[in-house]
Amino acid sequence: MGTHLSDKYCIVGVGETEYSRGSGRSTRAMAVEAISKAMGDAGLSSGDVDGLMSYHGGDSIPSTTVMHDLGIRPNFHMDCSGGGSSTEALIGLAMGAIEAGMCDTLAIYRSMNGYSQVRIGGTGVRASAPVAGPDLTKRPYGLVSAVQNFAFTFTRHMMEYGVTNEHLAHIKVTHSNHASNNPKALMKQRVLVEDVINSRWIVKPCAHLLDCCLETDNATCIIITSAERARDLKQRPTYVMGVQGRGTKPGGDFHYQHGPITRVAGYHIGPRIFEMAGITHDDIDVTSCYDAFTYTALLQFEDYGFCEKGEGKDYVSSGITDLGGKRPNNTSGGHLCEAYTHGMNMVIENVRQLRGQVDDYCPRWQEGVHTYDYSEGGCRQVKDTEITMSMGWGTPAIGSAVILRR
Amino acid sequence: MPVYEYRGLGINIPDNDSEYKEYFEAAGDHRLVVRKCLGCGLLRGEPGHGCPWCASLEWEWHEVSGKGTIYSYQIVAHTVLPGFRDWAPYPIVLVELDEQRGQPTPDDGLRITANLLDENMAPEKEENVAIGGRVEVMFMDLENGLTLPQFKLSDEPPQGPVWRHPV
Ligand SMILES: [Zn+2]
Repeated sequence: MGTHLSDKYCIVGVGETEYSRGSGRSTRAMAVEAISKAMGDAGLSSGDVDGLMSYHGGDSIPSTTVMHDLGIRPNFHMDCSGGGSSTEALIGLAMGAIEAGMCDTLAIYRSMNGYSQVRIGGTGVRASAPVAGPDLTKRPYGLVSAVQNFAFTFTRHMMEYGVTNEHLAHIKVTHSNHASNNPKALMKQRVLVEDVINSRWIVKPCAHLLDCCLETDNATCIIITSAERARDLKQRPTYVMGVQGRGTKPGGDFHYQHGPITRVAGYHIGPRIFEMAGITHDDIDVTSCYDAFTYTALLQFEDYGFCEKGEGKDYVSSGITDLGGKRPNNTSGGHLCEAYTHGMNMVIENVRQLRGQVDDYCPRWQEGVHTYDYSEGGCRQVKDTEITMSMGWGTPAIGSAVILRR
Repeated sequence: MPVYEYRGLGINIPDNDSEYKEYFEAAGDHRLVVRKCLGCGLLRGEPGHGCPWCASLEWEWHEVSGKGTIYSYQIVAHTVLPGFRDWAPYPIVLVELDEQRGQPTPDDGLRITANLLDENMAPEKEENVAIGGRVEVMFMDLENGLTLPQFKLSDEPPQGPVWRHPV
């Protein structure tokens, strides 16, 4: 396995629009704003960016439109089909495109009116589409949304490993505590375990309403270039130590036919990324773990090896993942509380953690001065963050990951 | 086969559907079928065109008993499909068929998704839905000519681990 690109590429700019539930504008307008902000963050002008990549589910605006609006002339561009787990995969593909000599500096963006236009939960346009192909054995049975597609895995895991709704609720509680210190977060209200348990059921027995992420209108952008170029730019570079993209477990869409149904893709790509990065779990200070639902985070912690299989319930409810804990997770509030961005905000947050630039309620956060007081309305910067890991989720069968260092 | 209307969904099984058309035609004859690999002889629960174990493209339809065990389940409390709202909360089950359980590896099986319904084709009561519950196929013949394989609880005692969420 190749490890020769470890530390050779950097994230040099990040940016996002407001997170809202009703942007009142086009995905084109939002994409352009996010890219513009990321370029500003990096200290790059349009002429410096010669690569564009995006991902979408038929709900975004292509690079060929966006490039006009910013005066970017890519030497390479590509719009990929995909949702969750695409962020980390595209970071790897961007490194590959630059390594191949197709471009030098590449902006990855995701733009979606995920609440007001095309909801991933399947209402509106998606719910009324004709049923054909592999959906024929699902939708006629009323099985359509993401959480329903994952629920057989979740329910079986509850049985095999004794996970309760209280365990799951701790994930939401932790992320809500983090979001309460994030001015950008859609849901800043701290919640308690009983709030989650008492919220209405979406799918029994594995998901109450507050176990589900927040469909959001937003655009986000991450800019990648070589470590060599990164050293001359505005921000302290964030190095990519390891990356894995859209790895799978056997069976793909039909994974529930094969092998342990409770196993997710991280089981297969976890060892690869740690080998590439040349580190162990103990070296990781901060994680972001895709929380489309509380359960997705729990399963990934287990199968990426942050704990033993079956001990995810303890990992997420013991304080390890809290700010101030051993290895805080989703310090922005993640998809459950900050915004649902299909993974982008999790990597963006970790970049800011590594720079010491997290935006919180510390009076001097803009100068990188933090209080490290994690009580409500306070700080969310983790002290001396050196290495972070993001774990992206597509389905139980599809995962991506990136390990970053400062 | 035409486009069928069912609970507000347009179910489209065109003539060039190489996977599911004959599966639903067999259901119309009240037969549950899976594909059998002519290379290695293994059955597969998803009617794909190659064998997941030996990659052979040769296969034939194979009728199964329709008896099985609930391997996992979900009760849909909030549905995004308007046509299913009168059913909610309704169970969807992942049934592991009796044929070829634990082969070729201990965690493999032929797993079929369907609703768990009672004799009147109404959603089974939540308290009767549990992993380990024994079920058998039944066929829901719609007036439009489409038949959906569904499952109902059988009289047999549960098999393997038995579990349901305590709510
Ligand atoms: Zn075969």
